[in-house]
Amino acid sequence: MFPAWFLEIRGKAPKKAAVLFGLVPVLLLLLIWWFITAGDAEERVISPLILPSPHEVVASVPELLHENDQQGRSLVQHVELSLFRVLVGFLLALAVTLPFGIAMGAFGSVRATFLPLATASGYIPIAALVPLTISLFGSGEKQRIIFLALAFAIYLLPLIVRAIDGVPDVYLRTAYTLGATRFQTVFGVLVPVALPDIWHSMRLAFGVGWTYLVLAEVVVKEGGLGDLIDTARRRALPGRVWLAILIITLIAWIADLAWNQAGKLLFPYRSTQR
Amino acid sequence: MSASEQDLPLVVEFRNVVLRFGNFVALNDVSFKIADVPDKGEFISIIGPSGCGKSTLLNLIAGFLQPTSGDVLVRGRRVEGPGRERGMIFQQYSSFPHLTILKNVLFGLNINAAEMGLSHEQRREKAMELIKHVGLLGHEDKYPHQLSGGQQQRVAIARSLAIEPRILLMDEPFSALDEPTRLEMQELLVELWYRIHPTIFCITHSIAEAVYLGERVWIFTSAPGQIGYDIREGIPPSRGIKPLEAQERTEFKDAVRAVTEAFRRVTQRADGKKVELG
Repeated sequence: MFPAWFLEIRGKAPKKAAVLFGLVPVLLLLLIWWFITAGDAEERVISPLILPSPHEVVASVPELLHENDQQGRSLVQHVELSLFRVLVGFLLALAVTLPFGIAMGAFGSVRATFLPLATASGYIPIAALVPLTISLFGSGEKQRIIFLALAFAIYLLPLIVRAIDGVPDVYLRTAYTLGATRFQTVFGVLVPVALPDIWHSMRLAFGVGWTYLVLAEVVVKEGGLGDLIDTARRRALPGRVWLAILIITLIAWIADLAWNQAGKLLFPYRSTQR
Repeated sequence: MSASEQDLPLVVEFRNVVLRFGNFVALNDVSFKIADVPDKGEFISIIGPSGCGKSTLLNLIAGFLQPTSGDVLVRGRRVEGPGRERGMIFQQYSSFPHLTILKNVLFGLNINAAEMGLSHEQRREKAMELIKHVGLLGHEDKYPHQLSGGQQQRVAIARSLAIEPRILLMDEPFSALDEPTRLEMQELLVELWYRIHPTIFCITHSIAEAVYLGERVWIFTSAPGQIGYDIREGIPPSRGIKPLEAQERTEFKDAVRAVTEAFRRVTQRADGKKVELG
């Protein structure tokens, strides 16, 4: 009655079946959502102030698109602001962690110097960086971007070091016996061989960044999806809250697919590795 | 060793080399001399029980390890680190995954372009020639992951030989390959050695392979590691003979039997006496 892969240990679902199976919980969730929010507002299982119906959430789209908030920002502008902050924060973090991570991965001296600091900073509660960066950098755009860059960097650095560590010794030893200098070994072998893994780390970090974004935008409200969520909550417009959450999820998901596709194009040789 | 050979410069010399890792003695007082005959490098097969210091010996010549005491000399100079005159091929596949086969073979050539005095075209030509020698013509634009294990080792051989090392160190290069591929690679290696004639040190765990490939077989003793036997007599030349054919010949059978007997004595430590070399 079941196909062979169904209960097989490490069995792999065929592509079509995987898509189909993956849709089941999503549809089920939508169905439950629709069911518990059906009917007149007074008769619902859950008050529309807590959970609006799917229809009400979708209905808030034209509202948000045409109607601006008190600062005159539309939905598109909120999305643009958030995207901008995540991108700039990410690029800033990358500009610092990439050379640092490579140096730490390549040289024991650099690693010994900075590893304790990097390891310890992994335990910093990211949320606590919000008030900290505000007291240091004020509450402007600079603070939000620096906060995001810090959060990204703390996440990225160990992953980049690990990617470099993952390069098998045999490649380095081969490079040495071919007469490569240290510089040639690092930039001709170590980094390019680790690059697909570094790319994967960047993809993971970028996804996590969206959770930090809301933190950055909720405390000082100057636009962005985080602002949209918190303002809508205060004004008792749960439709907008849910919509903003869905938009963030959707953007992060699409970005992840894009990272994956770009990775496949950039590193065609990776396909059968690991 | 004849008198004329004695006068020749040495390509590799070990003088009382000891290597310890903590309390473990990996190599104990190893001395030997390999003469540097122009255009006629030796092919030394190395066998021995596992953990007996065979790889340590190769790593010392390569310059990945430094002796605890004694001297490791390559062409009269103390080895201080790895260099391009000592190529090395490992059991693990080592083709750079991000480069095509052609670019893998070009890697060493490009690095040493100035020293070798080769133009861009000459390097390309040389790389293609080696790719042809190892039988990978038509695969030069593929990536390593598209090749089989045997083909990957062909890339490693072509890449090493491209920069014309005087010494080629091979650490169980064919151990991960299936048997038919192994035999093919053995034949290829003998052919390439006759053509290019570097000095080759090749570790293997197969006695038949050691006898087929080498013109000289070293048997290592373990803990502490030493060269127990240096067998030169009775190892037949194998150029132009396929490995399977060779295995049927009396002189090969005799050689394999003699080496097996010596190997057994080494592992059982029946005689325990060190065989003086060089």
